[in-house]
Amino acid sequence: MVKKVQALVIGAGPAGLCGAIAIAESGVDVLVVDEGIKPGGQLPKQTHKFFGHEGFFASTRGFEIGEILYQKAIDLGVKFQMKTTVSGIYEDGIVVYERDNEKAYDINADFLLIATGASERFISFKKNFLPGVYGAGAVQTLMNQYRVLPGQDFLIVGAGNIGLIVAYQLLQAGANVKAIVEASDKVGGYLVHANKVKRMGVPILLKHTIVEAIGEEKVRGAVISEVDERFKPIKGTEKELVVDTICLAVGLQPSVELAAQAGAKIEYIPELGGYVPFRDENMKTSVDNVYIAGDLASIEEASTAMIEGYIAGYNIAQKITGKDLSEKINKMKKELEEFRKGPFSTKVRNGLKKFGVNFPEGGFRTEKQENTGPTGKLRVKIECPQNIPCNPCETSCPTGAISVGGNINGIPHVDYEKCIGCGVCVMKCPGLAIFLIQEQEKYSIIGIPYEFELPEINEKVLLQNKNGEIVGEGEVEKVVRNNRGKTHIVFLKIPKGLENEVRHFSKISLEDEEIVCRCEEVTRSKIEEAIDNGFTDFEELRRYLRISMGPCGGRVCRLQTLSIISMKTGIPISELEPGRFRPPTIPIPFKAIIKGDEENEI
Amino acid sequence: MPRRVASHPILGKMEEKQEIEFEFEGQRLKALKGDTIASALIDNGIDIFGFTDSGKPRGFFCAIGKCSSCLVIVNGVPNIRACITLVENGMKVERQKGKGNPVW
Repeated sequence: MVKKVQALVIGAGPAGLCGAIAIAESGVDVLVVDEGIKPGGQLPKQTHKFFGHEGFFASTRGFEIGEILYQKAIDLGVKFQMKTTVSGIYEDGIVVYERDNEKAYDINADFLLIATGASERFISFKKNFLPGVYGAGAVQTLMNQYRVLPGQDFLIVGAGNIGLIVAYQLLQAGANVKAIVEASDKVGGYLVHANKVKRMGVPILLKHTIVEAIGEEKVRGAVISEVDERFKPIKGTEKELVVDTICLAVGLQPSVELAAQAGAKIEYIPELGGYVPFRDENMKTSVDNVYIAGDLASIEEASTAMIEGYIAGYNIAQKITGKDLSEKINKMKKELEEFRKGPFSTKVRNGLKKFGVNFPEGGFRTEKQENTGPTGKLRVKIECPQNIPCNPCETSCPTGAISVGGNINGIPHVDYEKCIGCGVCVMKCPGLAIFLIQEQEKYSIIGIPYEFELPEINEKVLLQNKNGEIVGEGEVEKVVRNNRGKTHIVFLKIPKGLENEVRHFSKISLEDEEIVCRCEEVTRSKIEEAIDNGFTDFEELRRYLRISMGPCGGRVCRLQTLSIISMKTGIPISELEPGRFRPPTIPIPFKAIIKGDEENEI
Repeated sequence: MPRRVASHPILGKMEEKQEIEFEFEGQRLKALKGDTIASALIDNGIDIFGFTDSGKPRGFFCAIGKCSSCLVIVNGVPNIRACITLVENGMKVERQKGKGNPVW
């Protein structure tokens, strides 16, 4: 069997979907094949809000972007064939394998857009093969798509954006992140992502790596150690962590196999992620009718993958239809230029230079704003210190108070005359890096962007600083719910002077941790409450709270309970009724009693 | 221990899904419709999907069909990727050793 299509797109991730959309806009027939179960590539497992600008879905969560793009493609008549793997590209055809029908056949396509994405890098350490060592993406897939959390205590290896994002998502799913280790001396991902997990108390250990997974059949722990400047573990600095899952977020490598089989020239460009196909500024490879886009072309963000998809798609459509689409193509090229001007694109710019594709850098605002606005006014405080391509704060502000200064990579500044403290930007900011502050007479107010289970109004909470350390107690003043965007704002009353400290909070455990009766788990506060309610006699308390009715028979709790009664009532212990000392002194099995009885009968 | 993320601050409550039954190494296990073989196994606390030729335990790694660490035997057929294959009612899944000795 041979199937014929004008354009075949391999991969239904952000690059492939946008490529297919761009091609289909001109009425060309497009087929998208992908081996996954659902379209969207890695978008369906992304629960965080994307950076960028609203034209490319900034502030929208990844899984929603996947749905929007897929729907758009379907509306344009793009055909999809999921659960289908391209098993090889040969001179005379492309062989695909449909898993559900267990059928392999040829597709002939006039044009090919390869958007196969990337795969997780694996690193060497002792026992790295143990079950429980996962790629970061696998953990995301399990917890966010299939809602299965594979463990409870995680170690994350790598503090790039993926490692930081996965750490945050694990916390949202209710897991513990024991640490993030990073071999280099700085966080590779956006600081705003790092800050989100740091303020929740997750340590980011720089110049550290994993040296061993502990366990026989599955991970039971990990050994980490410091590394020297050549990333070699330093002997004697090893530490053991009790974790049940190790999550590797050590980078991605482009999946070049199919591009290579299609005849595209492959080169080793470390800045782009390793082996990548050569491509020109139109995303065309060394083969005339073969284009690429997304992580296959260079490991980057979903936003740039989408733009590259459009560029490739419009070029393919232009060739097939003969229509002049240069306006659309140039618009997308301008977008890409905007995105890639900043410091986080340095590697990609340098890598692309080797292909003769040049992207300009700079031209954005780098000065940070010193002015924090008039004391006493409810106003925003933006903590976004890096040049990252993102501007929803600017575009969402209803009063035009925030500006990133032209280029999207600029650092945002606030015009405090115009800021009305409405909090729209706080809910929009993908980095959760905007806070609301107001100094009042007796205390101060801080509004925190919050994506966890919401606290109650007037609830007392523990206040945490930027490193997650507890710096005092506060109270929830109000909660502004954001049911659509899911980034809510929790307003806290905090002690004056802590406005620039407090960035997170945790609930005070209502459970009294002070146990008096270990057998029946009766706490001191329960006993005190009962005494206040009039149960001032040991026998009464026993019947009311089950104190001393457990297997120990009161040996542990009797005297403690009496001393609490004594303290509360002022009656000395010697004058209190100690309560009865009832049998049995230890529980004995019924079987033993029956056995003894039977022997008596003989 | 693995567990379901029943409620989530962004994704909300988990939608109700039909419960199905499959077999793993002769043991009857429960899964939810829409689970992959991998997510169903992990939810049941099973981390070892198979063994290498030399007998080392093999677990889950990439979840997107790229790493081939999750190959299992399904209804007698080896080399099925547990990560991108949906679990079905009555499916028989077994651990695979090495390449699984496929029969031609």
